[in-house]
Amino acid sequence: MIKFYIALVAAKLSVLGCKVLKNVMHRNGTNLPGEIALKICPGFLRYVGRPETIITVTGTNGKTTTTNMIADALEMTGHKVLSNRAGGNIASGIATCLLNGVNLFNRCRYPIGVLEVDERSSLRIYPYVQPDYAICTNLARDSCMRNAHPHYIFDIIDRALPEKSLMILNADDIISSSLKKDNRRVYYAIDKQPGDKTESFNIINDMRICPDCQELLTYDYVRYNHIGKVRCPRCGLHSPDADFRVTAVDREKGLVTIVHGAETETYPLVSESIFNLYNELTVVTFLRTFGIGAEEIRRALADTQIVSSRYKSETVEGIRVISTMAKGWIAPAVSVVFDFVSKLPGRKEIVLMIEDTEDNISSSENLSYIYETDFEFLNKPEIENIVVVGVRAKDYLLRLLLAGVDREKIHCTDRIGEIPQLLHFEQGKDVHIIYDLHQMDAYAQIHKAVTDGIKGGRTA
Amino acid sequence: MIIIEALYTEACNLFGDRFNMDYLEKSLGSRAAFCYTSLNETPRFVTENVNMLYMGPMPEREQGYVIDRLRPYTDRLRELIEAGTVMLFTGNAFEVFGSYIENEDGSRIEGLGLYEGHAVRKMMQRFNGTFLGTFTDETGSQIQTIGFKSQFTHTYADNSSGYCFQGIRGCGINPETKLEGIRIHNFFGTYLIGPILVVNPYFTKYLLRLAGAGDVTLAFEDDAVAAYEVRLKEFNDPKRRIG
Repeated sequence: MIKFYIALVAAKLSVLGCKVLKNVMHRNGTNLPGEIALKICPGFLRYVGRPETIITVTGTNGKTTTTNMIADALEMTGHKVLSNRAGGNIASGIATCLLNGVNLFNRCRYPIGVLEVDERSSLRIYPYVQPDYAICTNLARDSCMRNAHPHYIFDIIDRALPEKSLMILNADDIISSSLKKDNRRVYYAIDKQPGDKTESFNIINDMRICPDCQELLTYDYVRYNHIGKVRCPRCGLHSPDADFRVTAVDREKGLVTIVHGAETETYPLVSESIFNLYNELTVVTFLRTFGIGAEEIRRALADTQIVSSRYKSETVEGIRVISTMAKGWIAPAVSVVFDFVSKLPGRKEIVLMIEDTEDNISSSENLSYIYETDFEFLNKPEIENIVVVGVRAKDYLLRLLLAGVDREKIHCTDRIGEIPQLLHFEQGKDVHIIYDLHQMDAYAQIHKAVTDGIKGGRTA
Repeated sequence: MIIIEALYTEACNLFGDRFNMDYLEKSLGSRAAFCYTSLNETPRFVTENVNMLYMGPMPEREQGYVIDRLRPYTDRLRELIEAGTVMLFTGNAFEVFGSYIENEDGSRIEGLGLYEGHAVRKMMQRFNGTFLGTFTDETGSQIQTIGFKSQFTHTYADNSSGYCFQGIRGCGINPETKLEGIRIHNFFGTYLIGPILVVNPYFTKYLLRLAGAGDVTLAFEDDAVAAYEVRLKEFNDPKRRIG
């Protein structure tokens, strides 16, 4: 325990250092205190004081939004909440968060903790920080280099979570809904919606076969990848029945109807996207299970805004310029962006720069993921021009050709300055910039080149 | 017309590998019949001769399913290998044809035993890498081959007389060897993953000749070669971290 207290004091001091870093040098040292604590005392998470009730949120997509929404809603309903919403979600991030919640006597000042947990870090976190409520939003394909495949991540989480956790699970995800089979559980799902398909349409679907008999699964509805309601025509295995169901979405009125048991409740729709609808449903399912009243949740959600740092729309000299961030390397995430952009109304041209610049300088990027990504979504008549930027442009050209895009529509360049010459800049034709999350500098240059190009009179 | 059979693509498609077949389909058009066999179907190679058999990488659990499905046809597979049928098994797919796969706890999954060698799994040690190697054909002509690796396993076998690629940069079937893959006649088992036939157009043309398709102009061949040339330059650049 002496080691632990040394770690606690040292890490607390480093918190001050981080504040200086942030204020003076504008650098973020989010996980540093936790890193120091774990370095001095590897069992730090075992000993550090923690809230009486711990809620964890994990999953491939939506965990940050869900964590923030739950923490905000709990605070709005009068609870004092400790959360890592501004911090890291790996072991050092959790250590930093818990460290911030305790005083020098290791007493936690918060009754509730809402913690976002990185899936891959489960084995380093859950044995020590055992959740009373464990939420998993979904498990889907992520970076193959780190996360391999969703079944691998499933096994890690399944092994790490304790038996005591009440599981809050997405019934529309046949992978994550099977986590901790013997634990108490609450399921949620979105009923079949207009536009849902019954055939898998993405390149990636990690649940095509029945885990029990390996027969090809049948979808009652599929939204994207393997997310939907499935059944096995051979052995009868099926998606679990949901306790909380979205039965109706009224986008005009901005309302969502959720049914659970004999209750039918209406909540404000915080965002129109299907992904955020799942996030909202997760939040409502948890809060109602936790004992928060529907009216309180309605009030909390009415004040909730999902800030999208990943989407920006502006008008320059009458031309709409829409920037959308894509999580490069993560095929399902890039496919979602392609689907989103392709479905926006109107004629458009696209500047595409999703390669990993750093990797392409020091090594040569593994581009397997572009063959998991649905470039086919970009093969639409309304998409009249695609400018591919970067050293990997020839690879993207080939991928686009294989997706059926006309060669005449594709232009490649490795020079950002050349982009304006390759764009049409016509009134009534939107310019979309799709860029990688980790390429903010390149994005800033591309954005400037595009807007300068428009302002420079290159509009038809 | 040649027949190309792809096994279990519903389960064996971890890294965009399915595009290997899509690319061949686009390249061969009506000159080939493609057959996609799912796990609960009887493979076509069981009852008739196919020109090429393909299977891509899969989750570890699926390796067990695949071994169970193929075990009844072990003798037939051996017969086809001896007859020179072209087979391409990428990523961990080729491990199912070896002696066994060893888990971290020492337990073993018996393979089909079509070659002497075993794979060792280390599930908390993901191995990621890049690879540059040379493929030498029967005439002595050489093709530089590039690829990527992402795996939990390495294979331990004496492949000195039967490998796919002589490594230039990056490791072979395990970190102690530069010899990549297992080759028995026209059976090619390699740890390279993803759309290796798209990124290695010259090797693809060779493989199609071997399968009896003749000299094939690949779909968008000039573009595929241009992308390959750029990457080849990078993989040969000593300043870059390849391996």
